[in-house]
This record gives sequence, C-alpha cells and structure tokens, in this order.
Amino acid sequence: MAISVPLHQLTYSFFSNPQWKWCAKPSYSFSNNSQNNIRAIKASVETPPFPLFQNPKLEETPADGLEPADPDFYKIGYVRSMRAYGVEFKEGPDGFGVFASKDIEPRRRARLVMQIPLELMLTIRQKLPWMFFPDIVPLGHPIFDIINSTDPETDWDLRLACLLLYAFDQDDNFWQLYGDFLPNADECTSLLLATEEDLMELQDPNLASTMREQQKRAREFWEKNWHSGVPLKIKRLAHDPERFIWAVSIAQSRCINMQVRIGALVQDANMLIPYADMLNHSFQPNCFFHWRFKDRMLEVMVNAGQHVRRGEEMTVNYMHGQMNDMLMQRYGFSSPVNPWNVIQFSGDARIHLDSFLSVFNISGLPEEYYHNSKISSDEESFIDGAVIAAARTLPTWSDGDVPLVPSIERKAVKELQEECRQMLAEFPTTSKQDQKMLDSMKEPRRTLEAAIKYRLHRKLFIDKVIKALDIYQDRILF
Amino acid sequence: MATLSAAWMYQDRGLGPVDYSDDFITRKPNFNRFQTSFLGSFPTGILQTRFRLNNLLRRTSSVRRIKCEKNDELPEYVSVERPPYYSYFDSASGQLEPASGARASIPGEEYWPEGTASRVRAARAPEPTGESTGSPSYGKHPGSRRKKYKASVRARSSEVSVESSASLEPEVSEDATEDPKESSSEYVVYETESKAEGETEYELDKKLGRPHPFIDPKVRKPIEEPLSSEELWWNWRKSDKEQWSRWQRRRPDVETVFLKAMAETGQIKLYGEHPTLTETALYRARRHLFKEERLKAEQERLERIGPIAYYSEWVKAWKRDTSREAIQKHYEETGEDENTQLIEMFCHQTDREYRIMMGNDIRIKRDPLAMRLQEDQIKQIWGGDPVYPTVNYIQDPDEVIDYRGPDFHEPTPNMLDYLKEHGKVISREELEEILAKEKTEEVEMTDMDEAMAQAVDIGEKDEEGEDSDLDADADDEEEKITRNWSVLKSTPQLQKSKAKPKKDGPMSLEEAVDDSENLTDFLLDFDEED
Repeated sequence: MAISVPLHQLTYSFFSNPQWKWCAKPSYSFSNNSQNNIRAIKASVETPPFPLFQNPKLEETPADGLEPADPDFYKIGYVRSMRAYGVEFKEGPDGFGVFASKDIEPRRRARLVMQIPLELMLTIRQKLPWMFFPDIVPLGHPIFDIINSTDPETDWDLRLACLLLYAFDQDDNFWQLYGDFLPNADECTSLLLATEEDLMELQDPNLASTMREQQKRAREFWEKNWHSGVPLKIKRLAHDPERFIWAVSIAQSRCINMQVRIGALVQDANMLIPYADMLNHSFQPNCFFHWRFKDRMLEVMVNAGQHVRRGEEMTVNYMHGQMNDMLMQRYGFSSPVNPWNVIQFSGDARIHLDSFLSVFNISGLPEEYYHNSKISSDEESFIDGAVIAAARTLPTWSDGDVPLVPSIERKAVKELQEECRQMLAEFPTTSKQDQKMLDSMKEPRRTLEAAIKYRLHRKLFIDKVIKALDIYQDRILF
Repeated sequence: MATLSAAWMYQDRGLGPVDYSDDFITRKPNFNRFQTSFLGSFPTGILQTRFRLNNLLRRTSSVRRIKCEKNDELPEYVSVERPPYYSYFDSASGQLEPASGARASIPGEEYWPEGTASRVRAARAPEPTGESTGSPSYGKHPGSRRKKYKASVRARSSEVSVESSASLEPEVSEDATEDPKESSSEYVVYETESKAEGETEYELDKKLGRPHPFIDPKVRKPIEEPLSSEELWWNWRKSDKEQWSRWQRRRPDVETVFLKAMAETGQIKLYGEHPTLTETALYRARRHLFKEERLKAEQERLERIGPIAYYSEWVKAWKRDTSREAIQKHYEETGEDENTQLIEMFCHQTDREYRIMMGNDIRIKRDPLAMRLQEDQIKQIWGGDPVYPTVNYIQDPDEVIDYRGPDFHEPTPNMLDYLKEHGKVISREELEEILAKEKTEEVEMTDMDEAMAQAVDIGEKDEEGEDSDLDADADDEEEKITRNWSVLKSTPQLQKSKAKPKKDGPMSLEEAVDDSENLTDFLLDFDEED
C-alpha cells in the first residue's frame, strides 16, 4: 500500500502545509487534450507546427517538482488489462503519487478510478494452507519450503518478501517489469534499512528497539534460509542480506491486507498490488479499495460524494487509528497531523471535553472526530488532525450538564501546558533545530530524513497541543 | 451573411414580388447558411448537393406559389427527384435510415448483462502513448526506472561502484568457486579459440581450391559399429520424451504397484520391470494363500497353547507362566477360571499395546509393505489428499474389473451338490414327501368335522346332529364364504372341494387346532344358546 517514500507530505495538504496548496493551472502536456486537438507527446516545448493550433506555454518541470511518470509504467499494466480511468501517475522528489487528471463530480455512487487484475498481484493467504494467487510457486520448489517454515501468525512479511524475490526471478512475471519502479534500497524510507545512527536520531527508544528487533529477525531469517549450502535456485533470489531486507521492507510497507473472496472461499490475504500501492496515505482519504470477485480485480474507487478536482492527489487510509510510531514502524513515514497521536499525560489535570470540542468546532463521536466546517464560519487553518488528536488524548472530563468552572479550567490548562513543555524539554533537540537540520542536509539518506521528520512531527504535535490549549483558554469565556 | 445571400438570390432570380422573396429568405435561413459559411474546407460532394439544391431553388423560385388562407408554415420541400437509393426516412423513427441492411438498434447500457459495462469501459480506455527512455532490468535492479534514482545515480555513481565492489570482495573470498559464476551477469561466456593465427593445411587447401579430402583428417572420426536395431532411427521404439498426456501412462492398480514395490525391496523377483498379468495373478493368489495359511497357523497356535499364552504376546507386563498347566494350577489354587485369568492379564495391558493388538489405529502401521511403499507409489493406488488432491486418482473408465477370486482356477464345483449341501435345493422325492404331508393334513380335516358332528350327536338325536352337521357345515361354509367371499364366488369349485375333505378319517387335536380359524370353530351348541 504505501509508499515507503514520504510523498504523503503533499497529501495531507488539506490542512497542514500551505506551501503545498494546489494551484489549478494545468501544466503538463498530457493533460491538455481538451484544449488542443494534437496530443503533445513529448514533454519538452517545441515550435508548434501550425499557427492555428497553439500550445499553451508548457513548463518543463512544474513548480512542485511533479513530473509525469515514465510512460512505460502505465503501459506495462495496460497491456495486461489493468486500467486507470481519469488518473495519472506522477513522480516527485519524494516518490510516486496518483493524481486526478480530470474533475470528478460528487456522485452518490463511488467512482472507479483504477482496476488491477489478480494476475498482476502477489497474493498469499494469511492462514494455513498457504494459497498463492496467482499460483506462481511450483510444486517442489525450495522457496515453498522456506515459506512453509515461517510462523503462520506472525511472519507474513517474510513470506511476502520470499514471494516477491521469487517473482523477480521468474521469467515472465509482471513484477520483473514493475520492480523497476519500486523504491530501491537507497530510496526506501522503511526503518528496516536504517542504520544505527538513524535509529538514534529517532529519539524514541521504544521504536528504535522495535526496529532493531525487526532488523535482527529479518537478518536471522535470511541467514537461516540462505546459508551457503542452499541450492542456486534460492541463492540467486537474494545474494546478500541487504536485498532480502529490502524485500521485507517493501513487503511490509506496500502490503495490503484485505478479505477477498476468490471462487467461493473468503480469505484474509496479504496482497502486493502493483499500481494500487503507489497511492499515498492520508487521514482524510479520497479513495478506498474494493475487491470485485467476479473478475478478480481490485478496484480503487473514489469515495461517494467526493468532489475531486483535477490534479488532486488520490489517497487511501493505510491504517486506521494508529499512532505515528506504528505508521513509522510499518510504512516508514510519519505525520504531524495524525489524528490518532497519543501523549501520555500524568497528573490529575483535566479539561472540559465539551467546551474544548466546541471551541474548535469538532463534532462527531470520539472514534470519528472531525472538524465541522459548517459551524465555523471563519477560515480556520489552525485546526487539523493534530487538534483532533489533542481532543482525544488530552485528559478530559465531561459530566452531562455540569458547567465548567473557568478558574479550574485555566489551572488545568496551565498544568497540561507545563507538562507538554517538560516533554519538549526532555528531547535533546527542539523542533526548530530539527527543521534547520533537515533544511541544511542536502541529499540525506532517506531513512535519516524520515527519522528526523518523525521526531520533528512529534515535537510539532506537542507544540500544537500547547497552542490549542492556549486558544482554548482564550475562548473559554467566549 | 444573410444579406449577402439575399443579394445573391436577387441577382439570380431577377425581379419577383417582394413579399415572396421575403418569405423565401426568411423561412429558409438554413439553406443560406449551408451555402456560404464553409469556404475552402468543405468536401466537394456536399458542395455539389448544395449547388444542386441551389439550382432547384432557382428553378422553382420562378413558379408562383399558391398562398393558402390560413397562412401556415411552408410544407417540407418536396423534390421531384427520387431520394437516393441508399437511404430513406424510417417510418417508425422519422430518422434517415439506410435502405438495406439496417440493423436493430443496440440496447443501451441499462440492458447490458452485468460486467459488460466494465469490460466496455476497459476496452474503451485510451492506450497510453509515450515512449520510455529506460529499459526494464527484469528484476535485477529494482528502482532503476525511477527518475530520482537516475538523478542520484549520476551524482553518486562513484560511491555506488565503490560500495558494490567492497561488498563483492568479502563474498568472493568466502566461496571462490561459486561466486564468480553468480555475481557476474550469470551468462556463461564461451571462449572460442581464434583461428586467425593458425590454419591447417586442409583449410589452406580448401581455401586455395586445391584437391583435398572431404573431411578434415584431423577432425575426422573413425567409422563406428553399425547401430543396432534399437538405435536405428527408423525403427519403431518408444519415444524417450514424456508422453504428451499423463493419461497415457500405465494405469496403476493395487496389485501391480504392490508387486513393483515388492520387487524393489527384493521380496519377489519379476521378469521385467513391470509385472505381467500372469505374474500379477500368480502373486495375488500366492499372497492370498499365504494369508490363509498364516491365519490358519495362528488359529491353530491359539488352540494349541491356549488363549492366555496367545494373547500374552501383546501384554508385555504379564511375566507369569502362561502354559496350560500353570493355568490349571492357578485355577485349582484360586478358583479363577481361564476367562478370569485372561481378564486379569488384560488389565495389565497398556493402551498402545491394545491398539496394536486390535490393529484399528491408523497411526500404527500394520502392513510392512505399505510402510515401505514410497509416497508416489501410495499416491498411485490410493490417491493423494482427498480434500486438496494433488494427484489424479486415475481410473480407466473402460476397465473391466476382475472379481474372480484367487481360487478361480480351481475345478468348477458341482453346483448341484454344492446347493444341496447348503440346503438351497432339495430332491424331488423330498419335495413330494413334503407335498404329500401337506395333502394328508387336508385329508384329516374331514375327520375332524365328523368328529365334531359326532360330538354333537351325543347330546341330541340324528336330526339335530344332521342339523348341526349341516349347520356346522353351513356355518363353516358361511364363514369360509365370508372370509373368502370373492374367491369363492369366482371359483365355484372351491365349495365343492371343501366338502370333500370332511368325509375322511378323524383328525388329531393339534390338527384340529391348526385347522380351525379360531375357537369359535369349536362352538357347536348353537341351538342351545339360541
């Protein structure tokens, strides 16, 4: 599902980074079909052949660094009956992304955007007996014994990695072609490929130790199954542990776990799906996955009632309800606006939940808080996922109709802010220093960058909580 | 545009009544537009039709039109020409239709079978255009066609090569034999020796055109022995390659596979690779006989040494003496008879031993040959996993199953003796005996009646006896009639036949009881009760 490369920074653009606001000008030759009758095939600007059909001025690389992806990327899928309707694949400095190439009206029915047939995927059932769709593992191949030796409960990523490596080796497999577009070991931000200093940079000992364990586990698996006595069939799949660990990181970060029905059997499957994993993550996603069992296609569909503008990014929610460290561990990215971030507060200070929610116009049940823009009339760019997370993690009290006592509330707010500041002080660096470090590093290692961003986001979140408490304090007595 | 055309019309037509021309112009704006708007880029065919229409316009404009009272719209222009052959206005829809070969309209999307819409949409999706600059690496270099990778590769190409060489070196030092083969591009490089420097004299001769033998004497191989008939290519022999279908292989049969396995383990000797029919039958019979012999021997042993000694084989914990004398002695001492001692012994048996003894547990293998059969041999006979079958349990649909037992070649038994022995057939004499017995029974029934009649006689005199006799008769008859009414009616001779047996000798008591329908048959004093 996701990309191990944090293009997601662009995606949760609804609230956070103003620098990534979308401008509506069409700037690619591919998307200019409606305007002129001749399709400009090359991206570069050439003298127009005929004065009547004037191309509008084209830019080589648009402002946000997004170029259309290699045309072969879609072509290899198109030839194998994968389709993309109204979207195109673009590539930026942070990796691939899927963008709408035309406006989509809000409809009551979810609109199909991409369909990927089963033959292109790598699927394995989560439980015994392993079933592979498509069935590429031949009977008696030693890779099956390796897959068989994994623990059915926990080692799904190792199995998928073995399958991926085997698919790279199989001659007419689609993944031989598609693998060229996967992030390689340099570009992959998954922490499995991180070095010790990157893990140190995380400033989160739990996450660092978890990642070390995962690395060790992957490496031990490689050593156990790719020892020097193993046949060439296996050995050439992963000559060195780095390749295997890269495959595990790809499997972890791009796996989609779905319940699919194939034939009559409904099964939980771990699937590596070619084009659907180029979709980035967002906490307010555009799209979702749907399995069409009749012709065994995965459909990427736009949410019903979702108005999509041209050039908007298509996003999916990877994991619902998880903190940044889970996202980091599994996918290798983090987000400052994760609405499920959690801060452990100690102490007794509590604020009034209902008034906090009403100050920020957050409505909905605790599981699904959202910013109700209908109530709030003025432009609120402050409220984003971080504020929602604050509403969830701040210790609150709510007792029916009992009104709040402003002085107590203020005291509680001060205590909480004090605690937040203490937490910030415990970090070795401040968020400003982190930001400066990020800006100053040029061509950093991806994992290092991701690690620094992770801790930066953590601090930003705490900052935001402090600011939110400030605003709450101001508006208590409206 | 309109004014231009108006002027044009005026020029052509000459002078006419003004209102007429106004009508003409104002009500035919379409024609004017068609005529003047497309300048150079119109296909000539259409221009010609337009010109034709223009000519017609010019012609008819000179005719006076009749104006109606109602001043309604001008009717559709009717031309004196016939419409073109290939199209007409469809009477149903009013649209222009081809004259021949019109197809029924394709129903809209609402009527398509499900799935068609998505397939149509997939088929209609435009093909991607664009040429790619990179080329696929087929799994060797993942991420090689990403744009940023290319950019970074240019920047860091030196670093990458240094790293890769560094990583290769320790590997090379570990396994020197295998790694050079793999770490390179896995293509085998053939070394061809260059002929440039040395040319043999034969080749020189050949090049220069001098007389030379056909084959280079250095390269020439001596003539070998002629091939045997097996090796000759025009000899019919089985092709070495796989049969083109798995259905062509030998059909596995329990017997054959077992025999093959037995031959492999050396228990029997077969003539060839596969057992022939004779061998199969022979060994099957032999196995059957061995089994019978063994069973008999076991039974005999059981009888000989007694049950306790026999079953103590499966009770390891029973260490006592199990001979008959010992059992007898034990019985004398303690009064426990054989069965009790047997039960006592079985109390010492473990569960596993019990299961081995009974032979019901599938986890404990019983057939030593089946244990030694290889998996594919087992699969040939009994098939693979029944739920996820990986092997076809192949059966020949035309097979004639042989139900003949192992003693098939025994002499045919005398069926009659056999059936007689088993009581399925009796001889004719016996049959007649039995039938006669049945007949005599019937005969004796009449005695019974006479006895009944005589019994009644005792109480009364002749006429009552006759009456009761008649009554008994009549009652009997009536009863019989009521019972088998339809039968009696349809077979009149039955009544007479019933009269006959009554005249014979006396019956015994059992026969009378058997003969009577129920106790009412013995009620004789009817008159008294009335």
